[in-house]
Amino acid sequence: MSDSVLDRVKRVVAETLEIDAGSIDDAARFVEDLGAQSIQSVELVAAFEEEFDIDMDDDEALAVKTVDGAVEFIAAAVEKQHG
Amino acid sequence: MSVLARSFESAAQKQGTIVFPEGNDPRIIASAHRLATEQLARPIVLGKQDRVLAAAEEAGVDPSGITMFDPAESEELERYASTYRQGRTLKESIALRMVKKPLFFAGMMVACGDADTMVAGVSNATATVIQAGVLTVGFAEGIQTPSSFFLMVLPSTSDQDERCLVFADCAVNIDPSAEELADIAIASARSAAKLLSDPPRVAMLSLSTCGSASHPHVEKVTNALEIARSRDSSILIDGEFQADTALVAKVAAKKVKHASEVAGQANVLIFPTLDAGNIGYKLTQYLADAKAIGPFLQGFARPISDLSRGASVDDIVATSAVCLAQT
Repeated sequence: MSDSVLDRVKRVVAETLEIDAGSIDDAARFVEDLGAQSIQSVELVAAFEEEFDIDMDDDEALAVKTVDGAVEFIAAAVEKQHG
Repeated sequence: MSVLARSFESAAQKQGTIVFPEGNDPRIIASAHRLATEQLARPIVLGKQDRVLAAAEEAGVDPSGITMFDPAESEELERYASTYRQGRTLKESIALRMVKKPLFFAGMMVACGDADTMVAGVSNATATVIQAGVLTVGFAEGIQTPSSFFLMVLPSTSDQDERCLVFADCAVNIDPSAEELADIAIASARSAAKLLSDPPRVAMLSLSTCGSASHPHVEKVTNALEIARSRDSSILIDGEFQADTALVAKVAAKKVKHASEVAGQANVLIFPTLDAGNIGYKLTQYLADAKAIGPFLQGFARPISDLSRGASVDDIVATSAVCLAQT
Protein backbone atom coordinates (compact mmCIF):
# COMPACT_ATOMS: atom_id res chain seq x y z
CA MET A 1 0.00 0.00 0.00
CA SER A 2 1.36 3.45 -0.89
CA ASP A 3 2.22 5.95 1.82
CA SER A 4 -0.58 8.18 3.05
CA VAL A 5 -0.50 11.92 2.37
CA LEU A 6 0.35 12.38 6.07
CA ASP A 7 3.36 10.04 5.83
CA ARG A 8 4.60 11.76 2.69
CA VAL A 9 4.13 15.24 4.20
CA LYS A 10 6.11 14.16 7.27
CA ARG A 11 8.87 12.68 5.10
CA VAL A 12 9.21 15.91 3.09
CA VAL A 13 9.20 18.01 6.28
CA ALA A 14 11.86 15.76 7.81
CA GLU A 15 14.07 15.99 4.72
CA THR A 16 13.69 19.73 4.30
CA LEU A 17 14.13 20.67 7.96
CA GLU A 18 16.67 17.86 8.53
CA ILE A 19 14.82 16.33 11.48
CA ASP A 20 13.59 12.80 12.31
CA ALA A 21 10.23 12.00 10.66
CA GLY A 22 9.26 9.89 13.67
CA SER A 23 9.44 12.92 15.94
CA ILE A 24 6.81 14.87 14.00
CA ASP A 25 3.35 15.01 15.58
CA ASP A 26 0.33 15.34 13.32
CA ALA A 27 -0.58 18.68 14.89
CA ALA A 28 3.00 20.02 15.02
CA ARG A 29 3.49 23.65 14.06
CA PHE A 30 6.28 24.18 11.52
CA VAL A 31 7.91 27.18 13.14
CA GLU A 32 7.18 26.79 16.86
CA ASP A 33 7.42 22.98 17.20
CA LEU A 34 9.64 21.86 14.33
CA GLY A 35 12.10 24.73 14.36
CA ALA A 36 11.48 25.85 10.78
CA GLN A 37 12.90 29.27 10.09
CA SER A 38 10.23 31.36 8.38
CA ILE A 39 12.77 31.73 5.59
CA GLN A 40 12.60 27.96 4.91
CA SER A 41 8.84 27.85 4.55
CA VAL A 42 8.89 28.78 0.86
CA GLU A 43 11.31 25.93 0.18
CA LEU A 44 9.02 23.60 2.13
CA VAL A 45 6.19 24.63 -0.19
CA ALA A 46 8.40 23.85 -3.21
CA ALA A 47 9.27 20.45 -1.71
CA PHE A 48 5.56 19.64 -1.30
CA GLU A 49 4.89 20.71 -4.89
CA GLU A 50 7.66 18.39 -6.02
CA GLU A 51 6.50 15.43 -3.93
CA PHE A 52 2.84 15.68 -4.95
CA ASP A 53 3.33 17.08 -8.47
CA ILE A 54 1.06 20.04 -7.76
CA ASP A 55 1.27 23.82 -7.97
CA MET A 56 0.33 25.82 -4.91
CA ASP A 57 -0.24 29.53 -4.50
CA ASP A 58 2.69 30.67 -2.31
CA ASP A 59 0.69 33.14 -0.22
CA GLU A 60 -2.12 30.63 0.44
CA ALA A 61 0.29 27.79 1.14
CA LEU A 62 2.40 29.91 3.49
CA ALA A 63 -0.69 30.63 5.56
CA VAL A 64 -0.75 26.92 6.56
CA LYS A 65 1.07 26.61 9.87
CA THR A 66 0.75 22.94 10.93
CA VAL A 67 1.46 19.45 9.61
CA ASP A 68 -2.21 18.39 9.62
CA GLY A 69 -3.11 21.74 8.02
CA ALA A 70 -0.63 20.98 5.25
CA VAL A 71 -2.10 17.50 4.76
CA GLU A 72 -5.57 18.95 4.31
CA PHE A 73 -4.33 21.74 2.00
CA ILE A 74 -2.27 19.37 -0.14
CA ALA A 75 -5.02 16.72 -0.36
CA ALA A 76 -7.38 19.41 -1.64
CA ALA A 77 -4.82 20.62 -4.20
CA VAL A 78 -4.13 17.05 -5.38
CA GLU A 79 -7.86 16.37 -5.73
CA LYS A 80 -8.34 19.61 -7.69
CA GLN A 81 -5.32 19.19 -9.95
CA HIS A 82 -5.23 15.41 -10.43
CA GLY A 83 -8.66 14.23 -9.28
CA MET B 1 19.18 69.22 -6.05
CA SER B 2 16.49 67.01 -4.47
CA VAL B 3 17.18 63.44 -3.49
CA LEU B 4 14.92 62.16 -6.25
CA ALA B 5 16.48 64.39 -8.91
CA ARG B 6 19.92 63.14 -7.83
CA SER B 7 18.71 59.55 -8.02
CA PHE B 8 17.32 60.05 -11.52
CA GLU B 9 20.57 61.66 -12.61
CA SER B 10 22.58 58.82 -11.10
CA ALA B 11 20.34 56.20 -12.75
CA ALA B 12 20.69 57.89 -16.14
CA GLN B 13 24.47 57.87 -15.80
CA LYS B 14 24.67 54.25 -14.68
CA GLN B 15 22.24 52.78 -17.20
CA GLY B 16 21.80 49.79 -14.93
CA THR B 17 19.68 46.71 -15.50
CA ILE B 18 16.49 46.40 -13.45
CA VAL B 19 14.58 43.15 -13.32
CA PHE B 20 10.83 43.26 -12.66
CA PRO B 21 9.48 39.81 -11.70
CA GLU B 22 5.83 40.89 -11.76
CA GLY B 23 5.39 41.41 -15.50
CA ASN B 24 1.69 40.50 -15.43
CA ASP B 25 0.86 43.86 -13.88
CA PRO B 26 0.15 46.72 -16.32
CA ARG B 27 1.88 49.21 -13.97
CA ILE B 28 5.11 47.24 -14.26
CA ILE B 29 5.20 47.17 -18.04
CA ALA B 30 4.25 50.88 -18.13
CA SER B 31 7.10 51.65 -15.70
CA ALA B 32 9.58 49.53 -17.66
CA HIS B 33 8.51 51.34 -20.83
CA ARG B 34 9.07 54.74 -19.23
CA LEU B 35 12.48 53.75 -17.80
CA ALA B 36 13.55 52.55 -21.25
CA THR B 37 12.19 55.48 -23.27
CA GLU B 38 13.59 58.05 -20.81
CA GLN B 39 16.92 56.18 -20.91
CA LEU B 40 17.06 55.75 -17.15
CA ALA B 41 17.70 52.01 -17.13
CA ARG B 42 17.61 48.77 -19.07
CA PRO B 43 14.46 47.04 -17.81
CA ILE B 44 13.86 43.29 -17.96
CA VAL B 45 10.30 42.12 -17.39
CA LEU B 46 9.59 38.54 -16.32
CA GLY B 47 6.39 36.68 -17.10
CA LYS B 48 4.66 34.48 -19.60
CA GLN B 49 4.71 36.30 -22.93
CA ASP B 50 0.96 36.30 -23.51
CA ARG B 51 0.33 37.66 -20.00
CA VAL B 52 2.97 40.40 -20.32
CA LEU B 53 1.69 41.40 -23.75
CA ALA B 54 -1.86 41.57 -22.37
CA ALA B 55 -0.57 43.79 -19.52
CA ALA B 56 1.19 46.03 -22.09
CA GLU B 57 -2.02 46.37 -24.04
CA GLU B 58 -3.95 47.23 -20.89
CA ALA B 59 -1.28 49.81 -20.01
CA GLY B 60 -1.40 51.20 -23.55
CA VAL B 61 2.34 50.89 -24.17
CA ASP B 62 4.39 49.38 -26.97
CA PRO B 63 6.55 46.67 -25.37
CA SER B 64 8.78 46.11 -28.42
CA GLY B 65 11.86 47.79 -26.90
CA ILE B 66 11.65 45.94 -23.58
CA THR B 67 13.41 42.66 -22.85
CA MET B 68 10.88 40.16 -21.55
CA PHE B 69 10.88 36.42 -21.04
CA ASP B 70 9.36 33.59 -19.03
CA PRO B 71 11.82 32.45 -16.34
CA ALA B 72 10.45 28.89 -16.54
CA GLU B 73 11.85 28.68 -20.09
CA SER B 74 15.18 30.37 -19.41
CA GLU B 75 18.47 28.70 -20.33
CA GLU B 76 19.91 30.06 -17.08
CA LEU B 77 17.72 27.91 -14.80
CA GLU B 78 20.32 25.22 -14.13
CA ARG B 79 23.08 27.75 -13.47
CA TYR B 80 20.85 29.71 -11.09
CA ALA B 81 19.65 26.53 -9.35
CA SER B 82 23.23 25.40 -8.88
CA THR B 83 24.25 28.77 -7.42
CA TYR B 84 21.10 28.89 -5.28
CA ARG B 85 21.89 25.61 -3.50
CA GLN B 86 25.60 26.32 -3.09
CA GLY B 87 26.73 25.48 0.43
CA ARG B 88 23.33 24.03 1.39
CA THR B 89 21.77 20.57 1.50
CA LEU B 90 18.84 21.49 -0.73
CA LYS B 91 17.92 18.96 -3.44
CA GLU B 92 18.68 20.06 -6.99
CA SER B 93 15.08 19.48 -8.08
CA ILE B 94 13.80 21.77 -5.30
CA ALA B 95 16.37 24.44 -6.15
CA LEU B 96 15.25 24.28 -9.78
CA ARG B 97 11.65 24.66 -8.70
CA MET B 98 12.57 27.65 -6.53
CA VAL B 99 14.43 29.55 -9.24
CA LYS B 100 11.57 29.05 -11.68
CA LYS B 101 9.51 31.33 -9.43
CA PRO B 102 9.77 34.83 -10.92
CA LEU B 103 10.75 36.50 -7.61
CA PHE B 104 13.52 33.99 -7.03
CA PHE B 105 14.65 34.02 -10.65
CA ALA B 106 14.88 37.81 -10.47
CA GLY B 107 16.79 37.55 -7.19
CA MET B 108 19.24 35.12 -8.79
CA MET B 109 19.73 37.48 -11.72
CA VAL B 110 20.82 40.12 -9.20
CA ALA B 111 22.88 37.63 -7.17
CA CYS B 112 24.70 36.43 -10.31
CA GLY B 113 25.29 39.95 -11.64
CA ASP B 114 22.88 39.59 -14.57
CA ALA B 115 20.83 42.50 -13.20
CA ASP B 116 21.76 45.38 -10.90
CA THR B 117 18.57 45.49 -8.89
CA MET B 118 15.15 43.86 -8.49
CA VAL B 119 12.00 45.92 -8.06
CA ALA B 120 8.97 43.92 -6.87
CA GLY B 121 6.04 44.02 -4.49
CA VAL B 122 2.99 45.13 -6.51
CA SER B 123 1.61 41.60 -6.35
CA ASN B 124 3.74 39.97 -3.65
CA ALA B 125 3.61 40.53 0.11
CA THR B 126 6.57 42.31 1.74
CA ALA B 127 7.47 39.14 3.65
CA THR B 128 7.62 37.18 0.38
CA VAL B 129 9.87 39.75 -1.31
CA ILE B 130 12.16 39.80 1.74
CA GLN B 131 12.26 36.00 1.85
CA ALA B 132 13.26 35.84 -1.83
CA GLY B 133 15.87 38.55 -1.23
CA VAL B 134 17.42 36.74 1.73
CA LEU B 135 17.54 33.38 -0.08
CA THR B 136 18.92 34.74 -3.35
CA VAL B 137 20.78 38.05 -2.99
CA GLY B 138 21.63 37.47 0.68
CA PHE B 139 22.67 40.01 3.29
CA ALA B 140 25.28 42.73 2.99
CA GLU B 141 28.56 42.13 4.79
CA GLY B 142 28.12 42.22 8.56
CA ILE B 143 24.30 42.41 8.40
CA GLN B 144 21.85 39.67 9.36
CA THR B 145 18.61 41.62 9.55
CA PRO B 146 16.51 42.79 6.62
CA SER B 147 15.04 46.21 7.30
CA SER B 148 13.60 49.23 5.55
CA PHE B 149 13.99 52.97 5.39
CA PHE B 150 12.06 56.00 4.22
CA LEU B 151 13.52 59.10 2.62
CA MET B 152 11.75 62.00 4.33
CA VAL B 153 11.93 65.21 2.33
CA LEU B 154 11.12 68.29 4.42
CA PRO B 155 10.00 71.36 2.51
CA SER B 156 12.16 74.47 2.52
CA THR B 157 11.35 77.18 5.05
CA SER B 158 12.33 80.85 5.35
CA ASP B 159 15.55 79.88 7.14
CA GLN B 160 16.28 76.44 5.75
CA ASP B 161 16.55 74.79 2.34
CA GLU B 162 14.72 71.54 1.57
CA ARG B 163 16.17 68.78 3.75
CA CYS B 164 16.24 65.03 3.34
CA LEU B 165 16.50 62.57 6.21
CA VAL B 166 16.55 58.80 6.45
CA PHE B 167 14.07 57.22 8.92
CA ALA B 168 14.38 53.53 9.90
CA ASP B 169 12.92 51.04 10.49
CA CYS B 170 9.38 52.12 9.74
CA ALA B 171 8.05 49.04 7.94
CA VAL B 172 9.68 45.67 8.69
CA ASN B 173 10.98 44.85 12.21
CA ILE B 174 8.29 45.20 14.87
CA ASP B 175 10.43 45.02 18.01
CA PRO B 176 14.08 44.64 17.00
CA SER B 177 16.59 43.33 19.54
CA ALA B 178 19.72 45.37 20.28
CA GLU B 179 21.61 43.27 17.72
CA GLU B 180 18.92 43.83 15.11
CA LEU B 181 18.73 47.54 15.90
CA ALA B 182 22.50 47.76 15.37
CA ASP B 183 22.03 46.07 11.97
CA ILE B 184 19.29 48.58 11.11
CA ALA B 185 21.57 51.49 12.09
CA ILE B 186 24.52 50.22 10.04
CA ALA B 187 22.36 49.43 7.00
CA SER B 188 20.70 52.86 7.26
CA ALA B 189 24.08 54.62 7.41
CA ARG B 190 25.10 52.78 4.23
CA SER B 191 21.81 53.63 2.48
CA ALA B 192 22.14 57.29 3.49
CA ALA B 193 25.75 57.44 2.29
CA LYS B 194 24.58 56.44 -1.18
CA LEU B 195 21.56 58.75 -1.32
CA LEU B 196 21.97 61.88 0.80
CA SER B 197 24.14 64.79 -0.26
CA ASP B 198 25.69 65.09 3.23
CA PRO B 199 27.57 62.35 5.10
CA PRO B 200 25.28 60.24 7.31
CA ARG B 201 25.02 61.26 10.97
CA VAL B 202 23.10 58.49 12.71
CA ALA B 203 21.07 59.16 15.87
CA MET B 204 19.81 56.25 17.98
CA LEU B 205 16.47 57.59 19.19
CA SER B 206 14.96 56.90 22.57
CA LEU B 207 12.68 58.33 25.23
CA SER B 208 15.93 59.22 27.03
CA THR B 209 18.95 61.43 26.29
CA CYS B 210 22.36 60.24 27.51
CA GLY B 211 21.01 58.36 30.53
CA SER B 212 18.25 60.82 31.52
CA ALA B 213 15.93 57.84 32.04
CA SER B 214 16.62 54.30 33.13
CA HIS B 215 14.56 51.51 31.60
CA PRO B 216 15.13 48.28 29.63
CA HIS B 217 13.86 50.11 26.50
CA VAL B 218 16.65 52.68 26.93
CA GLU B 219 19.18 49.94 27.65
CA LYS B 220 18.28 48.22 24.37
CA VAL B 221 19.14 51.38 22.45
CA THR B 222 22.46 51.96 24.26
CA ASN B 223 23.39 48.32 23.71
CA ALA B 224 22.56 48.65 20.01
CA LEU B 225 24.75 51.77 19.82
CA GLU B 226 27.69 49.90 21.35
CA ILE B 227 27.21 46.94 19.00
CA ALA B 228 26.97 49.19 15.93
CA ARG B 229 30.13 51.06 16.94
CA SER B 230 32.02 47.83 17.52
CA ARG B 231 30.93 46.45 14.15
CA ASP B 232 31.68 49.53 12.07
CA SER B 233 33.80 52.27 13.62
CA SER B 234 33.65 54.38 10.45
CA ILE B 235 30.01 55.41 11.02
CA LEU B 236 29.18 58.73 12.72
CA ILE B 237 26.66 57.39 15.20
CA ASP B 238 25.58 58.56 18.65
CA GLY B 239 22.82 58.30 21.23
CA GLU B 240 20.76 57.56 23.01
CA PHE B 241 18.98 60.77 22.09
CA GLN B 242 15.45 62.08 22.23
CA ALA B 243 14.36 63.35 18.82
CA ASP B 244 14.84 67.03 19.70
CA THR B 245 18.40 66.37 20.87
CA ALA B 246 19.12 64.54 17.63
CA LEU B 247 17.75 67.32 15.43
CA VAL B 248 18.04 70.69 17.17
CA ALA B 249 21.51 72.14 17.82
CA LYS B 250 20.34 74.37 20.71
CA VAL B 251 18.74 71.43 22.54
CA ALA B 252 21.76 69.23 21.87
CA ALA B 253 24.10 71.92 23.28
CA LYS B 254 22.15 71.88 26.54
CA LYS B 255 21.61 68.14 26.92
CA VAL B 256 24.71 66.48 25.46
CA LYS B 257 27.84 67.02 27.51
CA HIS B 258 30.25 64.97 25.39
CA ALA B 259 31.63 66.00 22.00
CA SER B 260 29.23 64.67 19.38
CA GLU B 261 29.26 64.93 15.62
CA VAL B 262 25.66 63.72 15.55
CA ALA B 263 23.72 65.52 18.30
CA GLY B 264 21.73 68.42 16.89
CA GLN B 265 22.66 67.59 13.30
CA ALA B 266 21.43 64.03 12.72
CA ASN B 267 20.16 63.15 9.26
CA VAL B 268 19.56 59.43 9.90
CA LEU B 269 17.05 58.63 12.65
CA ILE B 270 16.96 55.08 14.03
CA PHE B 271 13.74 54.40 15.92
CA PRO B 272 13.74 51.84 18.75
CA THR B 273 10.63 49.99 17.52
CA LEU B 274 8.38 49.81 14.51
CA ASP B 275 5.65 51.55 16.56
CA ALA B 276 7.89 54.57 17.02
CA GLY B 277 9.23 54.50 13.45
CA ASN B 278 5.90 54.10 11.75
CA ILE B 279 4.19 56.73 13.92
CA GLY B 280 7.21 59.03 13.55
CA TYR B 281 7.29 58.98 9.77
CA LYS B 282 3.56 59.51 9.43
CA LEU B 283 3.56 62.42 11.90
CA THR B 284 6.42 64.02 9.97
CA GLN B 285 4.59 63.41 6.71
CA TYR B 286 1.31 64.93 7.78
CA LEU B 287 2.23 67.54 10.39
CA ALA B 288 5.45 68.81 8.80
CA ASP B 289 4.20 68.40 5.24
CA ALA B 290 7.16 66.17 4.45
CA LYS B 291 7.25 63.89 1.43
CA ALA B 292 7.76 60.26 2.46
CA ILE B 293 9.52 58.26 -0.26
CA GLY B 294 9.68 54.53 0.29
CA PRO B 295 9.83 52.24 2.07
CA PHE B 296 13.00 50.79 0.55
CA LEU B 297 14.49 47.53 1.70
CA GLN B 298 18.05 47.57 3.02
CA GLY B 299 20.61 45.23 4.49
CA PHE B 300 20.94 43.12 1.34
CA ALA B 301 24.13 42.48 -0.60
CA ARG B 302 22.65 44.38 -3.56
CA PRO B 303 19.72 46.80 -3.54
CA ILE B 304 16.25 45.33 -3.95
CA SER B 305 12.95 46.99 -3.31
CA ASP B 306 9.51 46.21 -2.05
CA LEU B 307 6.79 48.29 -3.67
CA SER B 308 3.46 48.82 -1.98
CA ARG B 309 0.60 46.99 -3.66
CA GLY B 310 -0.99 50.33 -4.50
CA ALA B 311 2.16 51.76 -6.12
CA SER B 312 1.59 54.04 -9.13
CA VAL B 313 3.78 54.08 -12.25
CA ASP B 314 5.41 57.27 -10.89
CA ASP B 315 6.16 55.45 -7.60
CA ILE B 316 7.65 52.46 -9.42
CA VAL B 317 9.84 54.61 -11.66
CA ALA B 318 11.07 56.66 -8.67
CA THR B 319 11.74 53.50 -6.64
CA SER B 320 13.68 52.07 -9.57
CA ALA B 321 15.81 55.22 -9.79
CA VAL B 322 16.53 55.18 -6.04
CA CYS B 323 17.48 51.48 -6.23
CA LEU B 324 19.82 52.13 -9.16
CA ALA B 325 21.36 55.12 -7.38
CA GLN B 326 22.42 52.68 -4.64
CA THR B 327 24.21 50.27 -7.00
